[in-house]
Amino acid sequence: METALDFRVVWEYLSYFFIGRYPKGPVGGVALTLYLAAVSLVFSFLGGLVLGLLSVSRNRPVRWASMAVIQTIRGMPLLMVIFWMFFLLPALFGGGMPASWTVITALTLFTSAYMSEIVRAGIMGIPKGQTEAAVSTGLSHRQTMLHIVLPQALRNMIPSFVNQFVSMIKDTSLAFIVGVSELTQIANQVNNRTMLFPTEIFLFIAVVYFIMCFAFTELSRWLERRLAYSKAI
Amino acid sequence: MRGKTILLVAAMALVGSLYGSSMAADTLAGVKAKGVLVAGVKDSLPPFGSVDPNTKEYVGYDIDFIKYIAKKLGVKVEFKPVTSANRMPMLMESRVDILAATMTKNPERAKQIDFSYTYFLTGQKFLTKKGTVKSLKDLEGKKIATAKGSTSEQNVKKSVPSATILSFDDYPQGVLALQQGKAIAVTTDESILAGQLGKLEKNPATKGRYEIPDVQISEEPYGLGMRKGDAKFVKFVNDAILEMEKTGEAKKIFERWFGPNSDSPINRGSFAIAADKRGT
Amino acid sequence: MNYHFDWAVVTSGKYFEWLVSGVHVTVKLSLVSIALSFLLGLVVAIMRMSPFRPVLWFAHGYLEFFRNTPLLVQIFFWYFGSYKILPVAVNDWMVRQDFEFAAAVIALTIYTSAFIAEDIRSGVRSIPKEQMEAARSSGFSYIRSMRYIILPQAVRLTIPPLINQFLNLMKNSSLAMTIGVAELMYQARQVESYTFKGFEAFSAATIVYVGLSFSITGLMTVYRRKLLKPLKAR
Repeated sequence: METALDFRVVWEYLSYFFIGRYPKGPVGGVALTLYLAAVSLVFSFLGGLVLGLLSVSRNRPVRWASMAVIQTIRGMPLLMVIFWMFFLLPALFGGGMPASWTVITALTLFTSAYMSEIVRAGIMGIPKGQTEAAVSTGLSHRQTMLHIVLPQALRNMIPSFVNQFVSMIKDTSLAFIVGVSELTQIANQVNNRTMLFPTEIFLFIAVVYFIMCFAFTELSRWLERRLAYSKAI
Repeated sequence: MRGKTILLVAAMALVGSLYGSSMAADTLAGVKAKGVLVAGVKDSLPPFGSVDPNTKEYVGYDIDFIKYIAKKLGVKVEFKPVTSANRMPMLMESRVDILAATMTKNPERAKQIDFSYTYFLTGQKFLTKKGTVKSLKDLEGKKIATAKGSTSEQNVKKSVPSATILSFDDYPQGVLALQQGKAIAVTTDESILAGQLGKLEKNPATKGRYEIPDVQISEEPYGLGMRKGDAKFVKFVNDAILEMEKTGEAKKIFERWFGPNSDSPINRGSFAIAADKRGT
Repeated sequence: MNYHFDWAVVTSGKYFEWLVSGVHVTVKLSLVSIALSFLLGLVVAIMRMSPFRPVLWFAHGYLEFFRNTPLLVQIFFWYFGSYKILPVAVNDWMVRQDFEFAAAVIALTIYTSAFIAEDIRSGVRSIPKEQMEAARSSGFSYIRSMRYIILPQAVRLTIPPLINQFLNLMKNSSLAMTIGVAELMYQARQVESYTFKGFEAFSAATIVYVGLSFSITGLMTVYRRKLLKPLKAR
């Protein structure tokens, strides 16, 4: 069935793809995709920082427990984490939590585990001599971490964080499985309704995702170059 | 490693007990208090529930029933999209107050949730390319598409055990697989298939190429789904839909979506909403 | 609404068999796709380093596009959307095969190959430039110097990231459930919708996924210890 591609369907539903049912209903589409990714990223950053710091703690049980949590989450598919959250959150906190928050929680939990590895690598990447020097000038371990190691480590991590944001944008597509009207879900709805243009619809959203992700990938590369440059000086 | 396992089990048990203790609340009072009825509906399954692309509003048979009930309650209504696969958890976890989502009443489901009286009656059939299927025999060993977690899926496994069942998140994806030759038939309730056929008929590229052969494998009474043990709310909803039948509102809604001039004409036959015990 | 645990549902009988068959499909899907991804990734990596500009640009575009698009969208595209761009004969042939599985393999392979190609490329870049120059000046063609001098070394360095990609791929294969491939996640959900024992079904699936992941990670540790270290020591 070779037929010419007909992108009129995309044009007809354009506002639906970008903002969903807004203003008649909740915001959806691209806008919701970016919202989910941004909110989850902020929480994952905090989660990753906490988990990462715990995983380099000098207290062995703490270190082991946090590593166990990190490794278990990293061993699961994101889809599994989403199903768990969908299932457990209402049990823990009662119903009424919107599905988008289920997804944000799942993305946060999942990405925090990966972020923590970035944080850990960043901390490990700071030469030991600096810690020793700081401690010998009388700073406590905590002070050293907070004022000497972390600020440098975080700066080095910026490109990796931006990269995680790219992964996050891609990962939000899984929200469709619990009925959140982000871009992929909208595409499915339009496809279900029009039936005849799956090629056009999925190509279109692939390009939309690509533009969003590629922009941030480039940003991360640029940051990396700048960082390398300023370090060289 | 063993310590971790024990920890995991303990955590699960804790969560499990919390899950067990969660309330059988009074939805009727809750809905009135918050002033809004949250209904789980299908969002791309005309004529039952779909979003109108121009107005971006929900429309359909299921939608009209919910609107009536909300009006009787004197509250606003909020629609949330559900799929066949996730609608039961959505209800049981209080993400929605009521389900109007082409849901067949059956004893297994009735153990988990409560149903209203039957508000729609149909039977499970097949949608196929014209002339390819005349009886169940023609389906043996072939791929049949349906939706995950639906009664349609369970029925067809029993009726045509030799077939391969392709389960999607919802029926339109199955119709797409049929169109592309990836399945020989889509199976679900005639009413849903009629809606899909209507859509195919409207399109010049597919017009006149599909049919619903007269092969029925089960009777499907639809009920509105509510949380278990919520007797007051169930009674309110039952009274509401009985009233709709009496005033002729139910018939009017049926004619709007399934009448001779609709996109998916089917016969209501002798069906009327009554205090029935179908599917339990 | 009291939840009664019933672990027997997932440890024996029909539903246990469903889950086991799901594990089979997950493993099969992952193995087939990683093998193909490696081959395709190798080809793309070589193209990406080609001295011939158009080839290089094509490979560059391929890498950027497929890495920056969600896998799920790619799966939907190959399953529902490919019929308009594939030749009729190819499409008809695919439809007669197990199209769901095939579409999942294609999507997973293309997606993963783009990441593997980058891993291989950085492996190659870590091989000193002089080696290539030496090979070329002693009369090897570009392809032959790649084939005999650079790639054998690069591939060895690429194995740890490759195992890592295998781990990702195994987890990503769960997305195939959306187009009806009866892998582990699909079966877990089936068990949930038939028995309403979601807790038990998801626990079982989680244990299997985490178990598989740990085995793959273990493989990497063994490789690093047994193979890479002695190599470096020499």
